[in-house]
Amino acid sequence: MTAAALFVPGGVGVAFAAMVLWLLRGDRRSAADLLVHLSLAVLAALFIGFLAGRAIRDPGPFLEVLLSGLLSGVLYSLVALGFVLIFKASGVFNFAQGAMVLVAGLAMVRCLDFLVAKGLTYWLAVPAALLFAGLIMALTAWVIERFVLGPLVNQDGLTLFMSTIGATFVLEGLAQMVFGSDVYPLRLFPTDAWFMLESVFAGGILVNKLDVWGGLIAGVLVAALAVFFQNTKTGRALRAVADDHAAAQSVGIPISWIWFVVWLVAGLVALVAAMVWGTKLGVQFSITFLALKALPVLIIGGFTSVPGAIIGGLIIGSGEKLAEVYLAPMIGGGIEYWFAYVLALAVLLVRPQGLFGEKIIERI
Amino acid sequence: MKADVDKVVAPGISVECKGGDVLLAVENVSLSFGGVKAIRDVSFDIREGEIRAIIGPNGAGKTSMLNVINGFYHPQQGTITYKGAKRQAMRPYVAASSGIARTFQNVALFKGMSTLQNIMTGRTLKMRKGILAQALYWGAAKNEEIRHREVVEGIIDFLEIQHIRKTPVGKLPYGLQKRVELGRALATEPELLLLDEPMAGMNLEEKQDMSRFVIDVNEQLGTTIALIEHDMAVVMDLSDRVVVLDYGQKIADGTPEVVQKDQNVIDAYLGVAH
Repeated sequence: MTAAALFVPGGVGVAFAAMVLWLLRGDRRSAADLLVHLSLAVLAALFIGFLAGRAIRDPGPFLEVLLSGLLSGVLYSLVALGFVLIFKASGVFNFAQGAMVLVAGLAMVRCLDFLVAKGLTYWLAVPAALLFAGLIMALTAWVIERFVLGPLVNQDGLTLFMSTIGATFVLEGLAQMVFGSDVYPLRLFPTDAWFMLESVFAGGILVNKLDVWGGLIAGVLVAALAVFFQNTKTGRALRAVADDHAAAQSVGIPISWIWFVVWLVAGLVALVAAMVWGTKLGVQFSITFLALKALPVLIIGGFTSVPGAIIGGLIIGSGEKLAEVYLAPMIGGGIEYWFAYVLALAVLLVRPQGLFGEKIIERI
Repeated sequence: MKADVDKVVAPGISVECKGGDVLLAVENVSLSFGGVKAIRDVSFDIREGEIRAIIGPNGAGKTSMLNVINGFYHPQQGTITYKGAKRQAMRPYVAASSGIARTFQNVALFKGMSTLQNIMTGRTLKMRKGILAQALYWGAAKNEEIRHREVVEGIIDFLEIQHIRKTPVGKLPYGLQKRVELGRALATEPELLLLDEPMAGMNLEEKQDMSRFVIDVNEQLGTTIALIEHDMAVVMDLSDRVVVLDYGQKIADGTPEVVQKDQNVIDAYLGVAH
């Protein structure tokens, strides 16, 4: 047992370090790069090896932390997905994604409350409220395309980014003006705990059912979106518009339609995120700050990659939970709040396009 | 229209045309950006099946003219008649869907995509399946995708770029990028192809290749071509008729032989003593 407890984590750590170095193989230009990459790989190997040691010593709690981390990571991915979609299709970092989650959530929960108060059965009211929120997102997409982005075709990416900051404030203000600004509880998914594998580990592994739902939904969304972007006409058109407005127009891609579609899809993804997060936290203004947590996810996964958003979310979610539980005794608590950003910084240092992003090739 | 041409070139010399009917006519078009007059009262036509060159010194308004035809710029005055329909201004989508395709002076490819995907974007307007069918990616939408892929493979063979099918275009040398861009324009099955300096920055060999492709497109596919080019040898070899712009105005129009000897053209290119 002692030998295994020593060598297995070490082996896992070394394997992980090798993997990190292999991932970074193409980007080394100088000795300094090599040094940075090596030290990062060593740090990562130590962390992973340390975790592997803990996993061997006490697998039950470790699995529990890992699983809850992975599942909450999926929830980050849901928000990050909306960013990726719009970035892929218009080259714009959409600052308003968090606000869109708020709009979608408020529209849904208020409509649901209203219908239930009118005496409609709950399971009839839910689809109706979803439909209503979907329509609100479609309206939002149309308005943003028509009045914010439409007039800015062929403008610089930074100009478009600034316009989404403006849209953020308008959306947040309007949504709270129309739907109210309290905390509205939402009960769409079961939130009770669920014990698995009780026969294997003493006491079993505690999993939140809501997290499992979130994971399932995100998986389906990603599979669908990945196929859509890779293999369809509209998917290609979206990427074409992101690269070059004028060239896209010249082959007959209708930019305004494409932008409407992409903001609509991002709005619907925001609605899904609002369903899950609203159940977790209640629909409230602070939901817009989810955008901040999505940022490191995007940096790790790459701004242009749908699968990247998921992998990034999983890395962040599990990383921060594991760090919080296992590192806190050594370096103090509160790790959960900054760990994601440190991970993102490390990735920026060695692979600015993210793990799955499109490599930017500049010709001079 | 014809009388106008004769008057400008040289009275009495009849203009020989390879082309058939007028495909596109630009009439009295003026375009200005604020106080800058990019195009002043320019009229000319492009006939079906010909290769029409637009030449002139830098800043003469050649690219602006293509942008007007293709709908990126909307002229303040004048009309564009394309396939019998008269318009004050084209819109890019209308231009593309009615058969006008173009390439750009500075290559405008979708850099993140492979050669194959870039050319596939040219099929956008030919693909009919709705967004829901695509979202499901099942049956009809998938078949359509495969059918258009075959067309694109044909274009790739035609342009002899099989070896770079899967390469991201950002990694390609300039000459090949221009060829991919031509491929993307061809994928739209254009009736009128606008080429903005297709040979700029190329070496002799690449120029010869590109010239061959332009001629092949014109002769084998019957596509009408309007091209801007600075290399006079290429212009004189390729084109059936040439229109010359200078400071936004048309100064000559006719066959290469006629334009070459025109005093206004010589003055514009060599400068004239005031």
